[in-house]
Amino acid sequence: MLYDLRHADARIKWLVTCLLATLGLSYVFGALMVSLYAGFTPRGVAATYRGREMSMPMPPETTMVLEHPMAMAEFAKPETHTVDTNLLIQDTHVHVPMYGMIAAALSLVVVGLSLERRRAFGLITVLFAAPWLDFAGMWLTKFASARFAIMTLVGGWAMGLGYVVVAALAVQQMWFSRERS
Amino acid sequence: MNVPMRLATIAAVLHITPAVVLVKRPDAVQALLPGADAYFAREVHLSTPDAHRLHKAVEWSPEDGVLTFYVGRTGSAAVGALEFVRVDTPHGPIEVAVGFTPQGTVRGVLVTKATVEMKPWVLEAVGAGLTNHYRQLKPGDTPNGAAAIAGQAGDLAVYIAGEVDKGVARALAAYGAFYTGSA
Repeated sequence: MLYDLRHADARIKWLVTCLLATLGLSYVFGALMVSLYAGFTPRGVAATYRGREMSMPMPPETTMVLEHPMAMAEFAKPETHTVDTNLLIQDTHVHVPMYGMIAAALSLVVVGLSLERRRAFGLITVLFAAPWLDFAGMWLTKFASARFAIMTLVGGWAMGLGYVVVAALAVQQMWFSRERS
Repeated sequence: MNVPMRLATIAAVLHITPAVVLVKRPDAVQALLPGADAYFAREVHLSTPDAHRLHKAVEWSPEDGVLTFYVGRTGSAAVGALEFVRVDTPHGPIEVAVGFTPQGTVRGVLVTKATVEMKPWVLEAVGAGLTNHYRQLKPGDTPNGAAAIAGQAGDLAVYIAGEVDKGVARALAAYGAFYTGSA
């Protein structure tokens, strides 16, 4: 195949290296942002997308008022960052196209690697499936069961893993392979 | 829509920046329920028709269909009530705290949360006196802080003031329709 990163012009290799470095930086800060809000545990993700456990799962037939005392310290408790349906629609609208472009960019790198076809197919599938899992997990956690939080975690880790595998293979083949031009 | 607003909207669609706390909740409670020594959370679980009525009035439904009023008292005397209302904007969410006197008028308004991107707009709007224009409003009134600061602040500050107006309008509608009993 004509497109082979091992034998590509040094400018192409440099472009791919810069792209991977930039994506890597954004992934690091993406992970930091996740740690600030939803966290990396199924419980944290479920609390973020499921919201507070409602005392009334269905709207009451007539409006009801419940009152309980609150200590000032309760106002100071760190709030669980929650994502309601409107915000999840907005997040999905903003993030999914961007994740698609990132997956496409990494897939173009994969196509230029010397890999068995089935491994390349597998890697490309992982790159695109990971964000699907991530967001499917969020929606299912919100509307089906808190157990689906694990799907979001799997999707998130798969995105990170997919990036690491592609970046490691690309850097190795472009700059450290004996067969490079 | 002018050019800066168009550019800001495009930027917002591409990325929403993280949330920042502008005023901590305990500080907002102390500022808007001054002198209170006892606090109560009054949760109003809306029926479907009432939730629909509120949505029709201000195009807003509270999270999980529950309105929460925080009530302050000193001994047996009422100090007032307070609501935290979230407004989702194309640039991310802001949170507005609206405090009411026992007579049911707005005692004060604070913008408690914004995003990194919106923080300077909020600070500029507040610096231009935005929150002063909400005092003494009562249910049925229309908040118009954005128009009030239009000549004294930039376009983005005026834009965000319009979003704060929405939050105050929601709080007024919720308070007017569903806050009952002594404050």
